[in-house]
Amino acid sequence: MTVDTTAAKVKPMRQPSLWKRFKKQRSLHVFVWIGLLFLLIFSYTPMFGILMAFKNYTITQGIKGIFTSEWVGFKYFAEFYNDYKFGDIIRNTLVLSFLKVIFTFPLPILLAVMLSEVKNMAFKRVVQTASYLPHFISWVVVLGLTFTFLSANAGLVNRLLLGWGWIDEPIPFLTSPNYFWGLAVGTAMWKEAGWWAIIFLAAIAGINPTLYEAAQIDGAGRLARIWHITLPGIRGTVVVVLILTVGSILGGGLVGSNFDQAFLMGNAGNNDTSEIVQTYAFKVGLAQGRYSYAAAIDLVQSIISVILIFTSNYIAKKVSGTSLF
Amino acid sequence: MKRNLEDRIFDGVNYFLLALIFFATAYPFYYLLVTSFNSGTDALLGGAYFWPTDFTLENYKTFFGDSKWMSALFMSVLRTVVGVITGVLFTCLVAYGLSHQDLVFRGFYFSVVIFAMYFSGGLIPYYVVLRSLGLLNTFWVFIIPALLNTFFLLIAISFFREIPPDLKESALIDGAGELQIYSKIILPVSKPLLATMALFTGVGHWNSWLDAAYFVRDEQLRTLSYRLIEIINQSRVPLTAEAAAAGASSVTSYSLQVTAMIVSIAPIICVYPFLQKYFVAGMMLGSVKE
Repeated sequence: MTVDTTAAKVKPMRQPSLWKRFKKQRSLHVFVWIGLLFLLIFSYTPMFGILMAFKNYTITQGIKGIFTSEWVGFKYFAEFYNDYKFGDIIRNTLVLSFLKVIFTFPLPILLAVMLSEVKNMAFKRVVQTASYLPHFISWVVVLGLTFTFLSANAGLVNRLLLGWGWIDEPIPFLTSPNYFWGLAVGTAMWKEAGWWAIIFLAAIAGINPTLYEAAQIDGAGRLARIWHITLPGIRGTVVVVLILTVGSILGGGLVGSNFDQAFLMGNAGNNDTSEIVQTYAFKVGLAQGRYSYAAAIDLVQSIISVILIFTSNYIAKKVSGTSLF
Repeated sequence: MKRNLEDRIFDGVNYFLLALIFFATAYPFYYLLVTSFNSGTDALLGGAYFWPTDFTLENYKTFFGDSKWMSALFMSVLRTVVGVITGVLFTCLVAYGLSHQDLVFRGFYFSVVIFAMYFSGGLIPYYVVLRSLGLLNTFWVFIIPALLNTFFLLIAISFFREIPPDLKESALIDGAGELQIYSKIILPVSKPLLATMALFTGVGHWNSWLDAAYFVRDEQLRTLSYRLIEIINQSRVPLTAEAAAAGASSVTSYSLQVTAMIVSIAPIICVYPFLQKYFVAGMMLGSVKE
């Protein structure tokens, strides 16, 4: 990339120092532009794809087709709204996201508090190291694990329960719509609690120890000390993580896994509760080739996401005084 | 510090619950390990919870002897290695540029980056872009879109800002160009950052499944994750012991699947505990940045 020198000629009133600085930093700017070019191609160009939702687009038209194909307005949005699965899909998406926030948000905090109260360093390290191992495992492996443990035919859990006589028939954890939400939230908790606990543990480590001593002298017991010192002490970190969660809530919040789970663990059996907006858009788009329709569905999801973010930001401001913006 | 009854009960419950958590996170992997060393036909009978009841290396022999699996393993390793090297170097280069506080147009550059972090055009248009660039069904579809990671870009910028400016000053006086400064001074000094980024992007590549499933079609380009999905979906109906015996092999689709899972997990388990101090620091930088 060559440096554009027309700026100096077009704006003769510019202070020479700005241009001189720019020239001196030439290479640095090139480094940055490489990055911006990347973003232009892979982040910004797809943004124009939103237009796809309003047009009759076919993939053979390539990128140009986004701009040249025929405008159809809200046709595909109406189609989605009238799709017989529309209600289920929206419900599943929202329920899954909210359940995840409710269950996966407190757990890392709880785990961090529990670990911080352990005096035996070896035990603490072993447990902590094991607890964040699942974070590094791919969802595909988790899928395999759910099979190993929960499948109706040969899963360990069903085998044990049948063997002990607790149930008469295997429980269809993986194929019944009744279990999908529990399965998704449970595996998400298992996978990410240990990882996010790391941040909270670091925050707890930053609390002034003399606070604890003073409280103990005042007669506060273990639980009281946790409630009055540990939890308030990490409030700042909790708020930051909460904001992060809400920012990506429809993707699954902290654990950001709605798509992976719904896609990998969803099947014909539990489809009523496992089909979410993102997977439906994906199947309709890439598998069926109906790109405009899929883009419309995706856009619906983005809009709901933005509404949720603004709403929770508003509520957060009213309730606690702090917010994202 | 006095230990009274409340302390003891609390500790007791705490240790117990943590032990349960340990069991819940560690045992599934241990069970996989046991099953992978257990003959497939025996595994169907069940009962091997802590030790193989019919120890065998057949599963591993079959796995490593299978060209389909070996090709997938090779592809996973290749994309991880290439992806990590290119991604880390690329992202750090851009970050190095952006880390200069006196950079002209800095505000503009940052807005472009931050905006791209929060807004995305969605998967479908992204796919269209990949297609138009001719990346689909090539090895490069794994590498090129992953070159820049905006999250790590910000972390790297924070990190580079902490580097004492005198290091750079003396090099500039010696007449070094920015690229030389980058490679000879900045990178060697940033080992913790590079280790963290390498670990995370490596894990990301190793575990990546969507692109291997939907952005490529050639059999040679399929990675380990794709083959895993394939075999898991195939073995939804597990072989009975009789059918497996009739096949005169103790290896079943299920035991092969478990072996593949172990191979998929093993590199991660070996590596991640040792890098704990690096990525904890990395996470902290990230959260402070937010």
